Amino acid sequence: MNKTRYILLNCAVTCVISILGLQLFRLQVVEQKDHSEIAHGNALRNIRVLPARGSIYDRNGVLLVHNVPEYTITLTPKFFNEERIPLLAKHLGVADSIINQSLEEARKYNPYRPSSSFSNVSFEQYSRIIEDSHLLPGVGTEIKQQRHYPTNARSSHALGYVGEINKQELNEISSESDSALYRQGDILGRTGIERGYEPWLRGVPGMARKWVNVYGLEVMAYAQGQADQKPREYYDIHLSLDSQIQEFAESLFVNKRGAVVALDPNNGEIIALVSKPDYPLEIFNGAIEDENWQSLISHSEQPLYNRATMNLMPPGSTWKPFMALLGLSEGLLGKEGGNTTIFCPGYHPIGRGRFFRCLASHGEMNVVEAIQSSCNTFFFELARRMDISSFKKYANLFGFGIEAPIDIGEQTPGLIPDSAYFGRIRSYEVEAAKMNLGVGQGDMGVTPLQLARYASALANGGVLHPPHLVKYLVNPETNEQIVIPDLPEPVKLEIDSTYMNLVRKGMRLVMEEGTGVMAQIPDIPSAGKTGTAQAPGNFEDHSVFIMFAPFDSPKIAIAVQCENTGDGSQCAAPIASLLAEKFLKGEIPPSWRTSVRMDRALSTKSQTLALTDQ
Amino acid sequence: MRSWYRNLDFPTLLIWLSLCVCGLVAIYSSTHGEAQEFLLNTVQNSFQRQLMWLGISACALVVILMIPMHWFIRLAPLAYLATIGLLIIALIAGREVGGARSWVYLGPFGFQSSELAKVGSLLMSAFVLTSRMKANNTSNSALIVSGILGLPALLIILQNDLGTALVFAGFIPILWLCSGVPLRIVGLIIIFPVIGYIAILSWQLALGFTAVAGLTAWFATRELKWATAAALVGAITVGTASFALQSVLQPHHVARIVSFSNPEADEYRAGVGFHLVQSKAALGSGGWLGQGFLQGSQTQGRYIPEQSTDFVFSVIGEEWGFVGGGLILLLFTILMLRLTWLAKRIDHPFGSLLAAGAAGIFLIHVCVNLGMVLGLLPVIGIPLPFLSYGGSALLTNTVLLSLALGAYMRRADFVLY
Repeated sequence: MNKTRYILLNCAVTCVISILGLQLFRLQVVEQKDHSEIAHGNALRNIRVLPARGSIYDRNGVLLVHNVPEYTITLTPKFFNEERIPLLAKHLGVADSIINQSLEEARKYNPYRPSSSFSNVSFEQYSRIIEDSHLLPGVGTEIKQQRHYPTNARSSHALGYVGEINKQELNEISSESDSALYRQGDILGRTGIERGYEPWLRGVPGMARKWVNVYGLEVMAYAQGQADQKPREYYDIHLSLDSQIQEFAESLFVNKRGAVVALDPNNGEIIALVSKPDYPLEIFNGAIEDENWQSLISHSEQPLYNRATMNLMPPGSTWKPFMALLGLSEGLLGKEGGNTTIFCPGYHPIGRGRFFRCLASHGEMNVVEAIQSSCNTFFFELARRMDISSFKKYANLFGFGIEAPIDIGEQTPGLIPDSAYFGRIRSYEVEAAKMNLGVGQGDMGVTPLQLARYASALANGGVLHPPHLVKYLVNPETNEQIVIPDLPEPVKLEIDSTYMNLVRKGMRLVMEEGTGVMAQIPDIPSAGKTGTAQAPGNFEDHSVFIMFAPFDSPKIAIAVQCENTGDGSQCAAPIASLLAEKFLKGEIPPSWRTSVRMDRALSTKSQTLALTDQ
Repeated sequence: MRSWYRNLDFPTLLIWLSLCVCGLVAIYSSTHGEAQEFLLNTVQNSFQRQLMWLGISACALVVILMIPMHWFIRLAPLAYLATIGLLIIALIAGREVGGARSWVYLGPFGFQSSELAKVGSLLMSAFVLTSRMKANNTSNSALIVSGILGLPALLIILQNDLGTALVFAGFIPILWLCSGVPLRIVGLIIIFPVIGYIAILSWQLALGFTAVAGLTAWFATRELKWATAAALVGAITVGTASFALQSVLQPHHVARIVSFSNPEADEYRAGVGFHLVQSKAALGSGGWLGQGFLQGSQTQGRYIPEQSTDFVFSVIGEEWGFVGGGLILLLFTILMLRLTWLAKRIDHPFGSLLAAGAAGIFLIHVCVNLGMVLGLLPVIGIPLPFLSYGGSALLTNTVLLSLALGAYMRRADFVLY
């Protein structure tokens, strides 16, 4: 080859390479930004990272609610090898045709994306498929989280259930604040703690920047994950609830409707909050079946209804300690106060014994004796003497007729008649209505929560604590602890302590010698008051009971309502007593007293509401 | 006998190996990175297959180095006949892959007939050109070479692989340049693709370049007839190209040809311009130093179509940046310049033509493939030598290289012959 041609050929090579090199430089260096923006637009996606929904623990650290994985098998038809249908069918224990059918559905959805074809498979099936994953291209697995309730205590109304967010809620939330917080398919708390503490249980979702491939599937992290935002502000919740007491209370409520609220009188912590009938929270996992939902909301006994915070009924004789404090503080018993007696002939003179009957002819009674023997005449007379506005004032002081500052929603303020109410009835009826209020009957309604709070105020000498279920929240990763809610300061009632002590003494005598004697806790002095609330119509009376124990340094105050079960010492008293004993002693030692209380508690039944309801 | 490998040109061998390894790295990245699980089964073992083909190619290289050069001269016509036969077999009984009916199978072992045809064609061309050189009738030999290359090109067009056929056509002027064909004729034929290319971009510009070509021809030869010929060829090219683009070709063909100049345009972006937009995005995403091995977002996300075959350079560009891409360009430059240097030093015309021809074939491939990847040429599916995934191409290119190396190694033998 001669020299000219050699040079020409080299020139051609150099020329071509130079042009290519310059273009390469242009694309990679000069116009780098433009083209890499296209690359980012192609392949960079922000993917939301949801923290696991917070767990819930009881006061002793017992796990009440956590998440368990639900195993799902996905199919990506594009990569699926149809020769493996029999293998997959064998692992899943279904017929080949079912796999074919799912494959067809998945193909319609998107052949490149995994479709959740088989949800809720067992862990064994899931692991077998994982083991054989090299033989099963296009078969993927996905783990979703479901709420799981490991204890025997259902605590349905305290914990509450979760549900998938609906369109309307989604719109409301996104118009209010950060729309990235919730998306279609997310769950949120609907009742109880799950709802009240939704923001803390859920946390703030993080963001992961991922490279996705041409099919829209994640390939790898952007910048080794350094630009990612971790989810934050998610917490586990520690409740004041005692799952042992809760479980025990639920078990005592067989065949009964009613509610229990147990408080720590020293700080307002809710130890137990039971409403019966209840329902298993598990049925709300995933989408609740319509049949389940219909029967829940149409059931005559209303299992979804939180009786503990919403059930209104007259307090019956449990109202008498309140009336005593009102009478003493307002000077209705004259200068002598505690020593003043009222004569009980077995009825109140007004109505000539036809309308205002007592249980017996008690004779001369002072306030302590009146509480001890639950003398109606004494309290009819007190009520007759009182001013209706002071009745309203004292009731509100003790938390009746107003909503309690509780940290979960769903409660009713109750009904305490005031002068406006009395203005509506005829004047000759006023006195009768007033006297009825004196024994906790008539047109008034209180909730078990309010009764429990009242009992704990009696226990601690007149301090009204805000009742609350949550003690503190803990971030499971950082162990950062926060105390939510910001509770309002407890209210000290302006009641003379001598009056308080008289009432407490009366209540103690109820347990030792009075109507509550069969509900005594062996070896632990306590105070209580039975009550029987008249039910409208032809139904049995409601049984009501309040108590606190131990008498000298109370650790628990309980209110129990049993619907349509007869008088207070029949059903509510043994339940309250057993719960207090278990809480104080840990275990209830077997004894004759124990078996009597157990028998009474378990054998009583609520009268059925509807005859059609089997 | 002194060691047979004493005269072997080791630098060329080293560059060959480097390019092959770079190719393997890129193929590994596009098939064994994060993207692997999303690949079809047939593509997942590309790396292993390419490694196997590299082994086969290395064996072929050793075998060819063992064979004395005059054997090849004797074998050239036979090889050419075999080539034509193979192309015809492929056309009749071959298997269609990616639209081209060029695959011939011997049992499970398949190869692309149009790739192997390059070897036979080069041998035959070199044989004819050198044997006729003694007759000193170069104008005729120019026509004969065109015929020798034209026949396989025609068969390959019938196989529906226009890109590979264009390589054969492009090889003609290079062989003319390397053999004794007068430079003015070579110049004249080169006007055709250059002006044609410019005509695709703008016919006004192409006419301007036609004038430049005419003037250049006049200054080079000082003969009016050459100047006229140059201008005429240019004008005809512009006319034909413009006419073809406007009236003859279907709109989707025109789009394919024209889109490279503006692939981002709305009408091209999702369709014919897709390859280029993605390829440029990948290169841009690489920047100076690249995203790193197995870290290219476009590569791992499979945004670039054909990323282990025709667009393998964009994988290198994204993951190794301008530094990596530039290194590949540098390696190719050294390889081709080294081959022309070898060609110059081989005394025997046949061997010299083999070496120069190999350089020429590589040049065309690099030019067309990288022109496409870098958005300078329309998308034409031909592989990048030694780097793209594809066993037949790797084997073919290695055989071409070993012919050149063999000729250089035995340059002393030729003198005796």
